Amino acid sequence: MNPKQIACVVLMSIIGAITYFGQIIHKKVVAMKASAESAVADAKAAQDANQLTEILLTKTKAETEDLRRFLRAWTPSVQKVQTEQEMEAAIEYTLRERNISLVKSRKSESRPLAVGSLIPKMVISTIVIEDEYDKVVNWFGDIEKRLPLSRVISCQMTGGSSVRQVQLDVTIESPLVNIAVELGPKIAAAKKK
Amino acid sequence: MSNIICHDFKTPRNDTSKRLPDTFKAIPILFYLALVSAAYLMTMDWMAYKKSERDKVSAEATKADFEAATKELEAEKTSIDNETAKAEILAKWMEGARNVQPISVAIARAMPKEVRLSDLSIERSQQVPSNLALSVRINGGSAKEVGVMETGLARLQYRSFGSQSTKDGDVVEYRSTLVRQEQ
Repeated sequence: MNPKQIACVVLMSIIGAITYFGQIIHKKVVAMKASAESAVADAKAAQDANQLTEILLTKTKAETEDLRRFLRAWTPSVQKVQTEQEMEAAIEYTLRERNISLVKSRKSESRPLAVGSLIPKMVISTIVIEDEYDKVVNWFGDIEKRLPLSRVISCQMTGGSSVRQVQLDVTIESPLVNIAVELGPKIAAAKKK
Repeated sequence: MSNIICHDFKTPRNDTSKRLPDTFKAIPILFYLALVSAAYLMTMDWMAYKKSERDKVSAEATKADFEAATKELEAEKTSIDNETAKAEILAKWMEGARNVQPISVAIARAMPKEVRLSDLSIERSQQVPSNLALSVRINGGSAKEVGVMETGLARLQYRSFGSQSTKDGDVVEYRSTLVRQEQ
């Protein structure tokens, strides 16, 4: 090969190399463009998901407003009685306040319910009192007012030892509510079912 | 100056190498063209690359922002769901925890002075806690007292279901299930 031919070969090699590197760079640019487009699409999807969640949240807020207001209104009453002792004290206080002279029997037992639930424990109290009709009925009203979450399971009012006396046998079921409990995972499980 | 004239005696010489064909003359032109176009294309590519890189970084940042905002919203929704679930449980409980004392008072007020209420029993249903099983024994009473009693209970929004009233001498025994009527 003469020098001119060699020069031609060298030039053509350089042209080939330039084309090759040009192609490599172009491929990289195309890949980066695709990656950027994908990132933009992901960002758009994230924006859509965000808007959807926002709509869902607004809808949930509006739909549950009444219930949540109800919970907020009852929270102070729930927090007032958090232990068995506080419940006992409330009964004791009302008995003293109404000056009930004869407490024939009084017992209370606590029953544990599901752990991690809103009502993990229940206190069942049975009280038998005897006094004048007004006092007994007023006490009954007082105890229901003081323990608004309590359920009267049964009550029996019969005549007492004298004409003016009335005997009241009442069984009260009082929930000890754990208002701070997180029910989140259970809600999700219930929704999946 | 010298008087001697120097002549160029150099005779034309033949090429040491053979001339290239004419088409090969395009190779240097092609080379320069390749250089210029490569420079142009690479510059354009470089600019496009940088722009795409910026777009990608910006899009990723936007995505991260939206995802963080979505997470916050989801956390808020979980909190609301939790609050709602608690409110539902509490409301369901409260539905079966309505006061019983006004019922006993209403029944007692329905009795005239000459009539004696010897036994009053109210039991809450275990299946439907808002329902109450009422049992009353009235000494010296009649159907009139039962009617007045039912009217008194209706004022408290309770309706008697399956009521049975039996009279044995002076004693009227009345049983019914009280169901609360929501207005």
